[in-house]
Amino acid sequence: MLDEESIVYLVFTLIVPILIFVNLSNIGSGLTSYFAMLLIALEFAFLLIMVFADFVLFPLIMGMLGITFQPARNYKITKGQDAVIKNVSGLYYATGYVTANLFAYVFKAERIGEGEELRQIQAPEAWEKSVMSINFPFKFNVISAGLDIQTVRDELEGKRSFQEFQLSRVMQSGNPNESIIADIQRKINVIQAKIDRISQEEKPIATLMYAETTAVGVSEKAAMDALAAQIKQLQIALGVLDVQITRIVGRELYTIFKFGYSLPTSYQDIATFFDSQK
Amino acid sequence: MDKKLFVFLGFLGTSIGIVLIDISVPGVIIGPTIKIILLILALVFDGLAYSSRYYSYLLVPIFKQRKRSIVLSSEDPYWLSPTGDAIVHKEGETFISTVYVKIPLYRSATEMSNDEKLEFTKQISRLVSLSRDPIRFTTQVHMMNKDDYIRKLRDTLSEVENEEASLLARNAKQNEIDRVRGKASMWRHMLDSVSKGISLEMVLYASVSALGGQEFEAISGAQQRARELISGIAAVFGVTPSILTGDAVQRAVEPEFLIPYSTVSEQLSKTLQEQVT
Repeated sequence: MLDEESIVYLVFTLIVPILIFVNLSNIGSGLTSYFAMLLIALEFAFLLIMVFADFVLFPLIMGMLGITFQPARNYKITKGQDAVIKNVSGLYYATGYVTANLFAYVFKAERIGEGEELRQIQAPEAWEKSVMSINFPFKFNVISAGLDIQTVRDELEGKRSFQEFQLSRVMQSGNPNESIIADIQRKINVIQAKIDRISQEEKPIATLMYAETTAVGVSEKAAMDALAAQIKQLQIALGVLDVQITRIVGRELYTIFKFGYSLPTSYQDIATFFDSQK
Repeated sequence: MDKKLFVFLGFLGTSIGIVLIDISVPGVIIGPTIKIILLILALVFDGLAYSSRYYSYLLVPIFKQRKRSIVLSSEDPYWLSPTGDAIVHKEGETFISTVYVKIPLYRSATEMSNDEKLEFTKQISRLVSLSRDPIRFTTQVHMMNKDDYIRKLRDTLSEVENEEASLLARNAKQNEIDRVRGKASMWRHMLDSVSKGISLEMVLYASVSALGGQEFEAISGAQQRARELISGIAAVFGVTPSILTGDAVQRAVEPEFLIPYSTVSEQLSKTLQEQVT
């Protein structure tokens, strides 16, 4: 997602390809100008990928160039940018991270309220069963930060008003589409449920959830192979919960690694690096 | 000026400079090949300028070191505070201290009624919304270092065996000998089962960090947040949380403490068995 800072970066970055395009005649004619246009197109494609999927491009480039990083003494981030390896007296400890966002508790469900209590009753047992099926070291982390109640409420009311405006526009159109109406009403219900929960004195929070596991090996490759197997098992074990699991790679891996010994001290610090749940 | 912004402006300025040269110098002087090369260079620097939004921490070391193994830091990631109850990390001129709070919660869902389960889930919801400052709650499963426990079991077993030998030596009553033999058999069985396989331990803890211009400032800030957190947790669960110190802190941070050295061979043979089957 593009935040304000990224938009500023993007706008300034686009000056160069636009400058080239406007002055294409000064660069050359015929084949040279076609080549220049191809390069501009490639630049746009690169920027597009960097905006929406840098986590794919960055590990790919680092993997191709074979570049590894040392984030701290005795630690190494692999060229695939998907694990941190620590060398301790000839033994290699590989740690990998996965996102583990529990969506069931953040209004992703379409029918708010329905079955929520049952899900809350089942949650502790489901969690215990998942943990008991894991027979290797792992950590499940939840970073939570309280949000300002009034700000969140204002934001939600603004969103609700926008959806209500959209709904009235659809209703006023000559041939209202039932599925669009249902979709907007569902969105309004979700927002209203959040407002209701805040009204019932529930504090709004932003959370970031991730799991990590560590494997040991006598070589880097052995540790990485064991880690890959453990991550697969972790995905299966946590899969019984309503969890979105994605392997963390690239810059987010570095940030999460640093979270191991220094946490973000404000919500803004979390929001700079991750799309947290509210 | 912010270092990240400086990197961005550096790359962007270089890119614009190259483009201006490319545009202003006529093709008859430098030729179309040089023009295209300059164009490629300009676009590469432009791409790097945008990439510096998230990757400035890497781009500068890559350009400076120009090798495949890039060193971002050769320092230890943190050090333990003199009081042993916090870790400290230095980021530029700022110190960040982190304190770990153990949450002694030993309840299982299997022994709860539905109402208790619902209440427990609500308690967890209250727990994660305790503070406006970021708090990390961690459930950690790690391998137990059983060396001390096994040593204690062996000592107990040898004491019981000595007792049995002394009873036999003084021709004690048969029922007394049988009782001691039963006890020895129990400890032998326990030693066998404990020595076999891997034992895992689960702990729950929370961690908070605070910034400071000085080390002591960051440490006291984190300790203050930890104290507030302790009162919050105690109010929610009615337990007595405690601040982790020394080795317990390292177990929460260092990967080798999750798999203690004494259990590595067991872990390696387990991995090998899994790969074979």
